Amino acid sequence: MPLSFSIQLDEARRELKDDILRGHGGRAALARFSDRLDTIVRQLFAAAPQPPQPVAVVAIGGYGRRQLFLHSDIDLLVLFGGHLGSAEEDALRAILHPLWDLGLVVGHQVREIEEFGKLEVDNPEFLMALVDARLVAGDRGLYDRFESAFHHAGTHAHVVGALNALIDERYALFNATLYQLEPDVKESPGALRDLTATRWIGALTDPSLLRRGVEEPSKIEEAEDFLLRVRSILHLEGKRNQNQLTHQLQEKAADILGYPGAFPQQRVERLMSDYFRHARVVTRSLAWMRKTAPTPAGLNLGRTNDGIRFIDMRQAAVQPATWLAAFQAAIDNNCPVSDPALSLIRQYAERFRVEDFFPTPTHRAGLLHFLKPAAGLYARLSEMHDCGLLGRMFPPFQAITYRVVRDFFHKYTVDEHTLLTIRNLERLTTHAPPDRQRFSSLLRDLQQPELLVLSLLLHDVGKWRDDDHHVESVRMAREMFRRIGLTQEERDTVEFLIANHLAMSQVAFRRDTEDPEIVKKFAELFGVEERLKMLCLMTLADVEAVSTETLTPWRAELLWRLYVDTYNQLTMGYGDERIEANQPGHAELLANRPSDLSESDISNFLEGFPRRYLRLFDSEAIYRHVRLARDIHPDEVHLWMERKGEAWELTVVTLDKPFLFSNISGVLSSFGMDILRGHAMTSPNGLVLDVFVFTDSERFLELNASAKEQMFTVLNEVVSGKERVTDRLRGREHSLFNRRPMRVTPVVHADNTSSKRYTIIDIIADDELGLLYRISRVMSQNGCDVDLVLITTEGRRAIDVFHITKGGRKLSAAEQAELSAHLQRMLEGGYEAT
Amino acid sequence: MKLLKAIVRPNKVDEVKDALTRIGIAGMTVTEVRGHGKQKGHTAIYRGKEYNVSLLPKMQIEVVVNDSITDEAIKAIIQSARTGEIGDGRVFVLPVGETYKIRTGEKDSV
Repeated sequence: MPLSFSIQLDEARRELKDDILRGHGGRAALARFSDRLDTIVRQLFAAAPQPPQPVAVVAIGGYGRRQLFLHSDIDLLVLFGGHLGSAEEDALRAILHPLWDLGLVVGHQVREIEEFGKLEVDNPEFLMALVDARLVAGDRGLYDRFESAFHHAGTHAHVVGALNALIDERYALFNATLYQLEPDVKESPGALRDLTATRWIGALTDPSLLRRGVEEPSKIEEAEDFLLRVRSILHLEGKRNQNQLTHQLQEKAADILGYPGAFPQQRVERLMSDYFRHARVVTRSLAWMRKTAPTPAGLNLGRTNDGIRFIDMRQAAVQPATWLAAFQAAIDNNCPVSDPALSLIRQYAERFRVEDFFPTPTHRAGLLHFLKPAAGLYARLSEMHDCGLLGRMFPPFQAITYRVVRDFFHKYTVDEHTLLTIRNLERLTTHAPPDRQRFSSLLRDLQQPELLVLSLLLHDVGKWRDDDHHVESVRMAREMFRRIGLTQEERDTVEFLIANHLAMSQVAFRRDTEDPEIVKKFAELFGVEERLKMLCLMTLADVEAVSTETLTPWRAELLWRLYVDTYNQLTMGYGDERIEANQPGHAELLANRPSDLSESDISNFLEGFPRRYLRLFDSEAIYRHVRLARDIHPDEVHLWMERKGEAWELTVVTLDKPFLFSNISGVLSSFGMDILRGHAMTSPNGLVLDVFVFTDSERFLELNASAKEQMFTVLNEVVSGKERVTDRLRGREHSLFNRRPMRVTPVVHADNTSSKRYTIIDIIADDELGLLYRISRVMSQNGCDVDLVLITTEGRRAIDVFHITKGGRKLSAAEQAELSAHLQRMLEGGYEAT
Repeated sequence: MKLLKAIVRPNKVDEVKDALTRIGIAGMTVTEVRGHGKQKGHTAIYRGKEYNVSLLPKMQIEVVVNDSITDEAIKAIIQSARTGEIGDGRVFVLPVGETYKIRTGEKDSV
């Protein structure tokens, strides 16, 4: 068998040598030689043992381009569909060993297909070699997966960037001139690498550029064939991978290529003048390509000097689902969408319906991502409006295009007013003046700021009618919800914001906000802080978009004060508002209850919890809590855990006892869980409901089948007192107690006036593992009962509000001072909870 | 002639304007102002940090009235702006020497 391969290879080499000596060692001859190698590789592959998973043998680099010289390396990528085991290694050996035995220099790369999920940025040469990849043997499906993993805008942009850097480096080696007396026909400026680079840039950015350019395609091909023929001669004469056209080899090449002339010097001059003429074509093509090629910016998208454009306009015209990506790319690249792209959209937009723009969940998620407040959003939305796309994507918006509503205040048409609200929000993220910084921080805190932008976009669409526009806006917005695939929770939020978009300015500017009753009533509108933050920002952006004079610092101050008072009411006053039988929502919970729950089950459970509870949870969650609370006995914990997107949510129902909260949060920390949000509530009869939302960065829950069970067992044992949480945390003491330097100065604030029943402790500190455990433990060690807790994380700050009592009463001034001092010391690292 | 300068709660402006209009006073100047009286503001807490709100947002209404209706105007302002709580504001009464219309340069008659 090996004999037959060496015969085949010798024959192929002889054939190529004959071609070279006849002066025909150019494109066709090299391709033929490369095809001969393909045949050998295919035979080896067929004879090799087949591993259970798919394999593909892929030619890359020069071999992939079918430009294989006599002494070129054979660049191969061997691709596997799964993990490499011994069967895969056997197959690999059966292919590679015979090639080595033939004396070939094989540059082989072995990869599992999954590895192409992540770009090998530290290996630019390999990435470039992949541009010329071509399947030689093996599984076509696997090869296609590789192609689609490799060919996307991110990879293309990276490869082009790396390529440009390499070209500059290479040029520097040759003093950036092509006029070398002894040029390297592979590496010199104007030589083969430049040609390949021109083709790569075109292929990766805009293939149509390969047909255009400063030089005729035929001239480039002629130059290429010339360079290939010369390089073939160098390999033949040098008997190795020789690429420099030395004076001595120039004479040989001139003879083989048949240049006329009585003296060698004349023949050489003719050869070299041809060389420089061709090299000039190549450098000019490359320079033009580098100047003209767009930067890849997405599927069928590129960035040029005038902004984002479609690479293939005909394709773009029939693919409206790709249009939003152009505007997203413009935001990502901080540039406009180019005029030709906008004209195309203007021309074709009317042919499509909403669903055509967002055909899949991925597209709909893309829309929400696009609506996140960021620099350039207003400008892009204005472009979309200007070319008619916004009204096609959001039909309700069409109703207010150029709409004039006359009143004393508004200075712009309704559509522009709407877009300006979004610009105002965007400015909070980019260049907020000092007196707006506090609002910027609210915007940064929002979990889904895109819903605020969506609400702003739709808040005035009802203004095509003359009265009650907020009601009409809600009706019209509802039509959009399904079409863009919002979840029920998202719909509720957007509907709430549109319906109430005038409420906050009315209270802030027209009511006596120093009256606690007015604030309390206003707070009832929200129930939770997130919506308050959103409405506050919506009001700010809306008022400011009426005219340049409407949002005076005076009004901004009124708005901020109402926000703070309402926020304090929601986070500190809520403990006094208990659920009563006549509460809105209470009767519905009883009426719609599932058959396994009795009215008294539900009423007994709800009794004494803060009213906020009914705003935080939907009925399904409440019924679940009722079930968890049924038949609960001292020292028992009833648990429920589910995945919530990237995070996990744990619900704990148990009966109150000292150190309970710190024990539960300590157990979560002992498993490495980072608590993001949560609520803890205690009813006067001692029933405790804690809900924690946490992330599992160590992927303990994901990777261990019995993880949930383990966690539940430990929670049970710690709460019942069979195990001490401090023992469990010992293993993590390093991360818990040897902490990083502080980033924010911790704040501890005790308040005895905001609530009738509780002393409220506000704590702001660096968010880190075990923080809640340490805080609540200090409280318990000071003899305090932790009754209600609100847990929030904003970026790297933890913001926790504790409602506590001691012996059933608020803390005295002395007790407050002592607790605050202990907490402050612990947060500053001087006081360890043990 | 008197200049009445009333500092009132922002939410009371419309009521004061209506009350003045009812007694036939049409021209007035309304300004957004900030300040404090005896109450000296109070300290608000946001997320555990205190911040001073000593300068409270108020509205200032200025009207020039004939001496004959000064008392009535003051009464109208006080009645419409009053809540009975701290922070209701003040009315200042200042004598006015002369007034001129800028457009014509003519001096107003008393």
